[in-house]
Amino acid sequence: MATDIAALRSGTQASARDARHPVSPGLWMLAWRRLRSDTVGMVSLAIVAAFIVMMILSALGFVAADWNREVGINYAPPSFVDVEPAAPPPPVATSGATGAESVPTGPEYHSTIVDPIGDVIEQLRSGKPAGAPGAPDKSGASDEKSVDPLADVMADIRAGKGVAAAVKPEDRRATLPLGGDKWGRDVLRKTIKGSETSIFVGLAAAAVATFLGTLFGAIAGYYGRWVDDFFNWFYSVFSSIPYLLLILAVAAVLQQKGTMTIILILGLTGWTGVFRLIRAEYLKHKSREYVQAADAIGASNARRMFVHIFPNVSHVVLVQLSILVVGFIKSEVILSFLGFGVPVDVVSWGSMLNEAQNELILGKWWQLVSAGTAMAVLVTAFSLFTDALRDALDPKLRGRAGT
Amino acid sequence: MGGYIVRRLWQMLPTMLGVILLVFFLFNWVGGDPAYVLAGKISNQEQIDNIRRQLGVDQPYVVQLWIFIKQVVTADFGASWSTNERVSHILMTRLGPSLTVVVPLVIIATIISIGLALAVAYVRGSLTDRAVMIVCTIGLSISILVYIIVFQYVFAYKLGWFPVQGWGDSFFENLFVYASLPILIGLVVSIAPELRLYRTFVLDEINQDYVRTARAKGVSENRLMWIHVLRNASIPIITNLMAGIPSLLLGSFLIERFFSIPGIGREVILAVERSDFPVIKAITVYVAFATIATNLLADLTYKAVDPRVQLK
Amino acid sequence: MTSRAARRVAALIALCAVGLVSPLSAQTGADPSKVLRHVFPAAETGFDPAASQDLYSGTIIQMLFETLLTYDYLARPAKLVPLTAEALPEVSDNGKTYTVRVKKGIYFIDDAAFKGRKRELTAADYAYALKRLIDPKLRSPWAWLVEGKIIGLDALAEAAKKTGRFDYDAPVEGLELPDRYTLRIRLKDTDYNLPYILAHEPTSAVAREVIETYRDDAGRAMSNPVGTGSYMLKQWVRSSKIVLDANPGFRGFVWDFHSDDPADQPLIAQMKGKRMPQVGRIEVSIIEEDQARLLAFQNGELDLMDLGGPLAPNVLDGGKLKPEFVKKGIQLSRIVDPATSYVYWNMQDPIVGGFSKDKIALRRAMAMAYNVQDEINVVRNGQAIALEYPIPPGVVGHDPNYRSPVTYDPALANKLLDYFGYRKGADGWRNLPDGKPFTIRYASRPDSLGRQLDELWKKAFDSIGVRMDVQKDKFPELLKLERQCKLMMRTASWIADYPDADNFMQLLYGKNIGQNNNGCAKIPEYDRLYEQSIRMPPSPERDRIYHDMARIIEVYAPWRLDTATYRNMLVQPRIQGYRKHPILHAEWAYVDIAKPPGSVSATPGNRSAPD
Repeated sequence: MATDIAALRSGTQASARDARHPVSPGLWMLAWRRLRSDTVGMVSLAIVAAFIVMMILSALGFVAADWNREVGINYAPPSFVDVEPAAPPPPVATSGATGAESVPTGPEYHSTIVDPIGDVIEQLRSGKPAGAPGAPDKSGASDEKSVDPLADVMADIRAGKGVAAAVKPEDRRATLPLGGDKWGRDVLRKTIKGSETSIFVGLAAAAVATFLGTLFGAIAGYYGRWVDDFFNWFYSVFSSIPYLLLILAVAAVLQQKGTMTIILILGLTGWTGVFRLIRAEYLKHKSREYVQAADAIGASNARRMFVHIFPNVSHVVLVQLSILVVGFIKSEVILSFLGFGVPVDVVSWGSMLNEAQNELILGKWWQLVSAGTAMAVLVTAFSLFTDALRDALDPKLRGRAGT
Repeated sequence: MGGYIVRRLWQMLPTMLGVILLVFFLFNWVGGDPAYVLAGKISNQEQIDNIRRQLGVDQPYVVQLWIFIKQVVTADFGASWSTNERVSHILMTRLGPSLTVVVPLVIIATIISIGLALAVAYVRGSLTDRAVMIVCTIGLSISILVYIIVFQYVFAYKLGWFPVQGWGDSFFENLFVYASLPILIGLVVSIAPELRLYRTFVLDEINQDYVRTARAKGVSENRLMWIHVLRNASIPIITNLMAGIPSLLLGSFLIERFFSIPGIGREVILAVERSDFPVIKAITVYVAFATIATNLLADLTYKAVDPRVQLK
Repeated sequence: MTSRAARRVAALIALCAVGLVSPLSAQTGADPSKVLRHVFPAAETGFDPAASQDLYSGTIIQMLFETLLTYDYLARPAKLVPLTAEALPEVSDNGKTYTVRVKKGIYFIDDAAFKGRKRELTAADYAYALKRLIDPKLRSPWAWLVEGKIIGLDALAEAAKKTGRFDYDAPVEGLELPDRYTLRIRLKDTDYNLPYILAHEPTSAVAREVIETYRDDAGRAMSNPVGTGSYMLKQWVRSSKIVLDANPGFRGFVWDFHSDDPADQPLIAQMKGKRMPQVGRIEVSIIEEDQARLLAFQNGELDLMDLGGPLAPNVLDGGKLKPEFVKKGIQLSRIVDPATSYVYWNMQDPIVGGFSKDKIALRRAMAMAYNVQDEINVVRNGQAIALEYPIPPGVVGHDPNYRSPVTYDPALANKLLDYFGYRKGADGWRNLPDGKPFTIRYASRPDSLGRQLDELWKKAFDSIGVRMDVQKDKFPELLKLERQCKLMMRTASWIADYPDADNFMQLLYGKNIGQNNNGCAKIPEYDRLYEQSIRMPPSPERDRIYHDMARIIEVYAPWRLDTATYRNMLVQPRIQGYRKHPILHAEWAYVDIAKPPGSVSATPGNRSAPD
């Protein structure tokens, strides 16, 4: 499609060329004006903006910071649903596996095994201040032992850490706005917190992929000849390997270390489309007059590539970036399914949907619906916005959604 | 034309070599060591070394690479590490079920998408056009995982229109009973993007001069759309379709797993779970080869159908 | 299309397509129209008893091949009974010599490898099967069953490593064949567990001609199983579908099992005296996804299903079926698996390992911070019990009265850490007594169970202010690192190969480091007791040693005992006589299928579509 697009764009290009000025504010102003008149585009933009604001608020800890708290009963249904009273939650034992006061061993049996720290444990258990005279071991901390031994735990609880201890079982709510997950965590807060991860993954991975694709495409298209051959070879190798296997292989190589890994997996495998388009653009632009003019005034190659040509292809980059964001937000779900999702203490829409997989047959549909809907709304808005953006940047393409 | 084909075939070599190098790097070099799993619940270092020796993973990388290249050239990837089944046999037997789903899916999806694309392109810019496009975008925005989970639960279980899962021995039983719901899900997932794409292809043609000329000559609108426009729009559609099939074979792994279809995609996931590198490598190389070959074929079709296309 | 119509079409097509009838067996009473449909949640690998490692292949192997001994269907705890042997082995020489006689007149199924002759089962087939386990070329995952045990066998394996060929014809002192039907096994050391090994499916009889006809370059015959078992392989679509037909030449047996459990009595009344096996065909589907599996069962597409933990809340309320399932007549057969899961700490690790008091205290604090009950409720969906004793229920040596003092007590854990100087730094996390910061790396697999355990342990570590990281890796990598003593801690599990305590207690034996002592624990006191225990038959004396060993695990805390899971088998109402056996994988030869009233029996080719 690259050549079609190129063939169809010329009007906007002309102004840039005539002005012999790499940056053409007119182009962006015109685009913005066109975008503003596009109702669907503006509504989508508003929705996307709302999600991004939500993401930023969540990242800064203003909303959903305590998504990890178990505020409801396990699988608390949504408040707006009239469900028959849920089965009582499984008994939450507060003390150990089989009751705290069980005797260590059978009554008639005496082990000859000596517990090396049994005396300490006895003292601590009986509530005597540890480090009291007779304590077998010197302890550097003994001066502080007069303080409440639970002080630090309490501090944690106040700080919102120490999740398990945060909400007493009897304080847990029977229903939550959008229901609770298996631990009784609020699905609404999870969805908000999940948007943070999913959008960030989408944006960051798209940035990585677009950066790689643009860089490679620019170098290949600008230098041509063997450089172009090399990058073309690299491109055809990458694009011949099935995407699924590429993802699995890169995932296996990177191991699992967190959100960064997902970004890298997607970014390192997703640059090929951008490369193809940008390379075509650079091939075309490098022989244009304005580039030759830059050459004449002695601009370096790098300067010509990125200061002179880049602004003239940046709208292609922007549209590609936008397309990739949408794709990567969806890919994150599949990565989660394959077991390469976000780490434990992070929640994403992908991890929620995968958790929700088995919940639907339990009749607990709310997590599936919440995460699924949130994702569908954002992705729809983003796609429509991308279409509008493309139309605005390239009016000749108006109505040609989806290239 | 002949010279072009020879040149293109010749150009495939470095690409295939690159694929081989990349696959080798990813799996032999940085991939895991399966010996520990194969050795059993209780094993000692000696047994593990023995397994490594037999699998050839204790050899220097150069030797391993050479063996791999020989495997590619002779199309003999040996046996699966976990089942000892010949890799070629694995691929042959898994291809059928995948194709049973993918081929009807591609055919139906293409027919529906083209029909709809012609229709909405004809009324381009209208409310209908915009509405259809927005519905498409919404449809595109829902994760395939959600489609599968919900469709299986609702259509197979709650409504009982389809079996929940399974695969039989007869082709027709598979096609009409077991593959129906997977194909339906595939349609829902693939029509939206195809429709968006084909619509642009059709729009490209509608604005061409020959359409105006034909209209001026009094060709009926129906004939104009279905014969003139479609014939020209079909070129990019066909090339796009062909390029998509190899990845579609693997891409249907989610569907194959949820509906227990013994296809290639499910086999890949299984092989990855078992670190069964001979199987993974063979599938990667074959699919890569298929991708390169279909790309070439697509270009040739392009040229054959439309002589104006200049091949470089 | 409605479901009924869809299935009609399916049945009709099947009728046209299959059209084949397996001959009615006179001896066994197997009825081809009785089709049992089962499901595996993961793929099999192949059917060579010496080479297949996974549970699912083993399940099929149990149906196709026969061991000398097996387990009584109903006796609990599991009890050995002869299968192809005439009687249980005679033990002599202080548990060093075992003599066992094979029944006469048992034949392998017909196969081209036998060149048209009937092939009788002999003692030599068992000797051959035992030798195959240690053949280096075969790289059997079951080598450990015989390694270092049978006199002369290891030397043969050594020789094979040098020559590259295992000499199956060479005489082995420890595998004597006094006559065609007698096998005498001589051991290097006293071992009372040998009979269990003779009931384990890797030691099933295989015919040498068959293996030599079908073997691949590693000497394995994965896809041509020829055995003496009650079923034979009819159709095999790899990792998708396995169809077994009743072996028409099988000798059969009369259903006659006893049990003191009142719950078993109706089943006994229903089954007693029937000629077995009754089921003519077994169809096993492989369905990986939980949702698909349960929906298929509820739709009547499956007769038997192992209800995994994630699905349990949908079907069970506590330990019982939900009313809607009871109403449908669904049966539940529920046992505690003879298996343990445990968390180990690497005893050689500089942070969590070692025997100084502060290290012991750190491990015990981590053990106390972990809420096993949470794991049972939330991760295992209530389908597990907390283990008090390293030997799980259903295994000889288990002590139901033993109560572990290791309890969930984060407050005490915090005090313990305070006491030993693990003080909190400015960042709120504890440091080592010498003031250096530290992080615990919890290793787990990238699947959903792994992820949930991560969450629980993260909570545990948060509650004691210790920094924790998750180390994610694929299972093969984890195993590799573990064998090299490079993991810090991991939740591991062990399922009984045979129902004796030894199979569990060996997990901490110092000499098993690099094998299955995953935490690389070398505790001299434990090793001394273990070496005593292996020379003793099951007895109260041996149990006392195990008590001491359990106590060592508690005080030095190389492990935190975790859970043993329930295995819940869901059974459709038409299946009769089903009881989950704790050790046997497949009970299909012991069950019957009720025919719908008024149905014509044995319609040729009818694959009995459920309708």
